[in-house]
Amino acid sequence: MLEINNLKATIGTTEILRGLSLSVKAGEVHAIMGPNGSGKSTLAQVIAGHADYEVTDGTVTYKGSNLLELEPEERAREGIFLSFQYPVEIAGVNNAYLLKASMNAKRKHQGLEEIDAFEFLKLAKEKMALLGMDPKFLNRGVNEGFSGGEKKRNEILQMAMLEPSLAILDETDSGLDIDALRAVAEGVNSLRTPERAIILVTHYQRLLDYIEPDFVHVLSEGRIVRSGDKSLALQLEEKGYDWVREAATG
Amino acid sequence: MKSRHFSMDALGDAIARLPDDRLTAIRNAAFAHLREHGLPTKRDEDWKYTDLAPLVDIGNQWLDLGDDVTPQADSSDVSDPIQKSIDADWLLISNGQVDANSIAALAQDGVTVELLSKHDSTANFSAPLTDLNSALLRDGLRITVDANHSIKRPIGILVVDIAATAASLSQIRADVIVGANSTLDLIEYHASSGEGEHYANSVINLTLEDNARANWVRIQDRDRAHNQTGRTAVTLGRDSQFHHCAFDFGGRLIRNDLAVDIAEPGSAAVFDGLYLAGEDQHIDNHTRVDHRVGPATSQQEYRGVLTANARCVWNGKAIVHEGADGTDAEQANHNLLLSDKAEIDAKPELEIYTDDVKCSHGTTVGQLDETSLFYLRTRGIDIVGAKQILTTAFAQTIVSKLPVESPRESLAELVSARLSRMLEAVVK
Ligand SMILES: Nc1ncnc2c1ncn2[C@@H]1O[C@H](COP(=O)(O)OP(=O)(O)OP(=O)(O)O)[C@@H](O)[C@H]1O
Ligand SMILES: [Mg+2]
Repeated sequence: MLEINNLKATIGTTEILRGLSLSVKAGEVHAIMGPNGSGKSTLAQVIAGHADYEVTDGTVTYKGSNLLELEPEERAREGIFLSFQYPVEIAGVNNAYLLKASMNAKRKHQGLEEIDAFEFLKLAKEKMALLGMDPKFLNRGVNEGFSGGEKKRNEILQMAMLEPSLAILDETDSGLDIDALRAVAEGVNSLRTPERAIILVTHYQRLLDYIEPDFVHVLSEGRIVRSGDKSLALQLEEKGYDWVREAATG
Repeated sequence: MKSRHFSMDALGDAIARLPDDRLTAIRNAAFAHLREHGLPTKRDEDWKYTDLAPLVDIGNQWLDLGDDVTPQADSSDVSDPIQKSIDADWLLISNGQVDANSIAALAQDGVTVELLSKHDSTANFSAPLTDLNSALLRDGLRITVDANHSIKRPIGILVVDIAATAASLSQIRADVIVGANSTLDLIEYHASSGEGEHYANSVINLTLEDNARANWVRIQDRDRAHNQTGRTAVTLGRDSQFHHCAFDFGGRLIRNDLAVDIAEPGSAAVFDGLYLAGEDQHIDNHTRVDHRVGPATSQQEYRGVLTANARCVWNGKAIVHEGADGTDAEQANHNLLLSDKAEIDAKPELEIYTDDVKCSHGTTVGQLDETSLFYLRTRGIDIVGAKQILTTAFAQTIVSKLPVESPRESLAELVSARLSRMLEAVVK
């Protein structure tokens, strides 16, 4: 589904991704861990198409085509979804309006009709109930005045409505209370089908108890320095990142 | 070559051709005043950014035609679906002529609508463009709301100009009095069409008696090649409340003056405005509030979105006169500048001659937030759509303040339609 090969990306004059390779197949869940500032969010933003990052080398292939040629909105319509580490507040734009506009943009791209207003509302309420969100959030501004945890739930609501092929969750677990963590994990697990893939960026082993990854990668200084199965996360919890760094260089 | 002055002889002839009625005296007085003082030029501080020369030029061309009677359009010529969808009792002024049928059709208890020429008027030389208006006035509206009366349905003034000749000029006038303890909701809608050049000059005089309230919405959606100057002069009685909400979508050269005089204590004035300006548009809003006594409040917020080579001006003047203690004046002006070639001159002016006052002002000029744009795009919205969503939200702030309910939906539509046209033009 996603093939990243020797990816290098810079912002301004600083190189942040320094030859990163990663292969994600349909049906898989990958966890990416790594110290602060190692480039995890950068990777997520580059995949989503942020224009501030310049890709200087390497390739990214998504569903067999060159992803880097697509505009961010085209990537979204092709099924890529990024749950932001810091979801953006958009004052004055109705949450339900954005949800509907996103769904319709994707449906149009797929040659489908716009979603019926009644269907939309029914679906939204269903997903919100699953995530423990009050339906009142539909009529608020997008993330406007939402608490940290509410914003994260709202990202997952968007994901649940859009049913992406490739979901990238950038620290969606940070700032969530126990119930929210469980609800978000359920939301993610319900998307776990043989056709979809999920990339989880996280600092905490705890999330991986709820969503069991097939692979765990450690990102350090813009490169994947170690990959393994879920037991790698447990080892990291125990030994910290220095252990991997040393192993990588040593 | 554009002239800065009206050809006074031709103007005198045009005035002489108007019917001899109870307006004749003020026409002549205003003409004499105009002749002596002329129209403002860019050398006048208040007209620094707006040049009337092209409008004077249209006026002179029209005078050359010697065609003082422009054919009157009836309301069936007005094919503005947005205006039609706004619920109100509509009075019609087309090509500067008041439609008597629309007056006759208006039957609301406690509201009297007449032709201005039914009464003697006293000339007031408050502004040069008011002189021009009085001098060339064919007729106007006089609307009176009785004391202790709240109107049941908004009154609409539909101003339509159909520019059928090469150049035409129209004068629009309404004098409105809201009696003590009464409420008026009024919607003023300006539209125009036609291939010719056009300049409309409108004057509204509004008086609020004690404890009266006026909710006034002005919507200007003229043809993008036509021009308008408009002056709304308001006098506020004791404990009266005035809320003005102005929208400018169309026009090439537009200049609005809103002047509010607080001569009695206890009143509250709110003015909000929105201007959406694209290619070749020049929209200038000048507001002035005179706090002569306190306590009283004035609050204003104007917002603008500019694309292409649009040029806008916002100048908000609040004068707190000596002894106007307990004045609270607030001014805000926010602009989104979506092109390098667009330009805004935003200037708050506070002149304070007393101590016990609370005044604040703030102006901002900015671009759309890149992070928000990217966020929307990652949700599948294309760049034009994302800009449309963000600018609409910005503009909607003003629509949401509307003091009259009936134009709300139509305005929301007008705003998003206009913004999408402006933004699509940017992409091409
Ligand atoms: N605009 C920028 N200019 C310069 N450096 C930047 C810019 N944006 C990001 N960086 C740097 O890039 C590096 C990687 O940042 P990134 O956000 O990808 O880290 P991360 O792995 O997601 O960290 P965290 O775990 O704290 O979220 C950091 O050192 C950061 O300071
Ligand atoms: Mg990060």
